Amino acid sequence: MNALPIARLQFATTTSFHFLFVLLTLGLVTLVAVMQTRWTVGGKPELLRMTRFWGRLYVINYALGIVTGIVMEFQFGLTWTGLSAFAGDVFGAPLAIETLVAFFLESTFLGLWIFGFGRMNKWLHLTLIWLVTLTAYASALFIMLANSFLQNPVGSHVENGTLHLDDFGALFANPALVASLPHVVGAAIVTGGFFVVGVSAWHFLKRTTEIEFFRRSMRVGVVAALVGSIFVVNQGFAQFGELKMYQPDKLGMGAVGAPLGAMIGLGFLMFLCAILGTVLLIRNWVTRARLLHYLMVAAIPLPFVAAILGWLVRELGRQPWLVWGKLRTADAIADVPAGQILFSFIAFSLLFAALAVADWVLMARVAKRGPDPVEAPAELPVLSGV
Amino acid sequence: MVTFWWCVLGFLTCGYFALAGYDYGVGMLLPGFEAGERRRRQTLGALGPFFLANEVWLVAAVGLLFGAFPHLEGKVFAGAYVLVVTLLLGLVTFTASMQLRSRRPDARRGAWTAGIVGGALVTALSWGLFLGNLVAGLPLSPDGSPSGDVLALFSPYAVLWGLGFVALFCLQGAAFLAVRAPAELTGRAARLARAFSAPVFAFLVVATGWGFFAVHGVTALGAGVVVLAFAAFAVAYLGLAARRYRVALVGSMALSACPALLVGTLRFPIVLASSEYALTLEQAATAPETFAVLAWFGPPAVLVLLVVQWLTWRAHRRPVDQHSLLHF
Repeated sequence: MNALPIARLQFATTTSFHFLFVLLTLGLVTLVAVMQTRWTVGGKPELLRMTRFWGRLYVINYALGIVTGIVMEFQFGLTWTGLSAFAGDVFGAPLAIETLVAFFLESTFLGLWIFGFGRMNKWLHLTLIWLVTLTAYASALFIMLANSFLQNPVGSHVENGTLHLDDFGALFANPALVASLPHVVGAAIVTGGFFVVGVSAWHFLKRTTEIEFFRRSMRVGVVAALVGSIFVVNQGFAQFGELKMYQPDKLGMGAVGAPLGAMIGLGFLMFLCAILGTVLLIRNWVTRARLLHYLMVAAIPLPFVAAILGWLVRELGRQPWLVWGKLRTADAIADVPAGQILFSFIAFSLLFAALAVADWVLMARVAKRGPDPVEAPAELPVLSGV
Repeated sequence: MVTFWWCVLGFLTCGYFALAGYDYGVGMLLPGFEAGERRRRQTLGALGPFFLANEVWLVAAVGLLFGAFPHLEGKVFAGAYVLVVTLLLGLVTFTASMQLRSRRPDARRGAWTAGIVGGALVTALSWGLFLGNLVAGLPLSPDGSPSGDVLALFSPYAVLWGLGFVALFCLQGAAFLAVRAPAELTGRAARLARAFSAPVFAFLVVATGWGFFAVHGVTALGAGVVVLAFAAFAVAYLGLAARRYRVALVGSMALSACPALLVGTLRFPIVLASSEYALTLEQAATAPETFAVLAWFGPPAVLVLLVVQWLTWRAHRRPVDQHSLLHF
């Protein structure tokens, strides 16, 4: 049994799960922060209830982002020991910074935000959600920076068979990063927007009495979908120019064509949906177009599919290299027997699949329940803040 | 410089065990401690405000391990492959179940509770086995690559450590509950903590005695850590006897940090040992240029970490009561 395909499949599977959750985390936290900001500067009480309701969904989604991320972090040392041996002196730095500065702080601020709801000065509490948002973006920056280094190893040179760091700043100016980071961030905003619009549409289909609540939510979601999809499409095409500079043959590869075409198609479809939704914001037509509401609910998964396809294009197109032009994937795999890697692949996949389904069912149920009534009976002890 | 970063890594790792140890302890004790759902919420609520801030110490530690000691990271995780995988499975199950269990007011929670208990148990066992192997010497090939022998990771000495960690974390969790659980449950938590102090003491004595014959090349520093562990146990034990539960908690936290401290100092400057292979600190470390980059981010992050821990403890130093927010 050959360990290489199993180890690659394990990495691809766990990363895909992780990506599904962090994408929505990044998008949804931005929308929650916007809602809370509008409430804090003197907006309607509806905005505070929106912050709670969407924040609750955000927290459920975030839980799986954390746990899948922990496995990602260990996995380099588990199966790709050749990477740390060859490129650890360069590649390790952005990963360490991501965990120390971004991920660690994000979780800490999130904990303070959850437990500070309603018991903290509202400006301090608002600052916390923006710190959570900022550190989430910082996470995206450093992870994309590390990934871009694998695509195009700048700022370093090979000496005695290992990579050495010359200029850490060059990693930030990497052409593989400059267009792809806004592309991914745009994708996250679209994901958050489609999610909020889709859940709101479901409640309109069910003849909700919370019309004001979901009308406002839907407006925020539509605007996010529009802004995000402009970024996604624009920065997506900007990458073609830059790809020529570092991986000129990438898009000519057989494995890349189909996912690339599907992703571009989905990207334009979502862009058109967002434009249509924006036009329908006039006189709130968007809240009355029942036929469209069915499509909005059905469209919730589209950004996730597009994101996985895009990730496949980027990573499949890098093969057979792990570090482009410097280290082959086949040379980086650890000396662990294939049977053990097969065991871990099956165990991680089953566990993640079970947790993901449980998490999504939970989110669907909480989403269906809708926001707490305005005069919520005070539960004692206080059972949940968010 | 390299030693400085080794100390930072040690600080993060020890901090993780000192803090997250009681997370797993509370998780394992959850079904035995209280059966009613409302009391269970209060038991988990005792942990609530600390949970995320505790678990991230591991993430920070492993991140720094990769950034500062990439040549150790690959060897140690791949070398104990199966144990790291079971550790991750336990950790993922525990962390996810903990966060998702109480998200719906009217839902059934049996499966999530099982996830919390089982996940915590597997995590504790795996950590004990993993650290026990590091103390005894990881089974590696002469070139430092994994030997691939699964059974070698489950030597009797390592199994002793696995069981010892379960008792250790339970003691720590019970001491934590004695401080933070609702006032009417304090007595029960303290009785549990006293019950677990006997197996923990047995683990300390047997692991030390057995290690004395089985482990070679122990540094004076490593021997000092063993003494420290016994001292920490004495503090926990006396704290329990005198009903000074905060003192007992601090003692048990220090005790839980000792195994990681021992691994870091046992054969220093050799940081990874096997019967036929040894990796020194210098070989494990990254290049000076990379340390210079990390210096911009590491110390400030650790500082924030400490401030947040202090603020959290200050805000939630009293036992859970009617007004506590029970998020988990």
